[in-house]
Amino acid sequence: LVMKGSKLQLIDAADALQDFGLAEHQLRFTSTLAFDEEGPTTETADKIYQLVKSQLKDFPTHYSSDGSITISDSVLVQVSGDEESKSVLVSWSYQDEDVGSYLLQLLKSELVT
Amino acid sequence: TKRRADGTLIRPKSYIWGKLNIQSFVDALTKQGITDIKVESTGEDGSIIHLSNDDTLIQVESDSTHIICEGEEAVRTKLRDTLLKCLHKL
Repeated sequence: LVMKGSKLQLIDAADALQDFGLAEHQLRFTSTLAFDEEGPTTETADKIYQLVKSQLKDFPTHYSSDGSITISDSVLVQVSGDEESKSVLVSWSYQDEDVGSYLLQLLKSELVT
Repeated sequence: TKRRADGTLIRPKSYIWGKLNIQSFVDALTKQGITDIKVESTGEDGSIIHLSNDDTLIQVESDSTHIICEGEEAVRTKLRDTLLKCLHKL
């Protein structure tokens, strides 16, 4: 709610920031989980995708052909590694803090033993 | 709660704004008990803050901050909350 002249107006938060010349500050988090798991990385990515689909039903999820998974607006999961050990990068913006932190803890408990 | 046609949630967005003052942030981290803080300048408005004891790097630009934390979740949330106190929220 902003005052323009003598009028009160309800405007979008992003527009309000722009009107006042304030730049939005992007905050992002990235954490990586490393663990031993045999098999191809695509198998680990498939497993994570199934887990995400069953545990985060409320959020749009996309599985790319390169094996990366995106959830909600900003959460990104990428699996890398070799036949014996894997690392899973989880990255999210503050906007998706609840989803990102939940997912990181979920993957930690499911994958890292 | 609003939902999209596919049933997924539509959530209100919160906004953070402002430029991070590195010195104030480092002071706030020190007050939180974080030790071994090294600041490296990476250009006019950029810095990388190394927290070796906590396996963390923080990349700061004038309009963005990236917390790369390989340490404990408790460390990440402490860094998050300390950072938010140094910025403005809408």
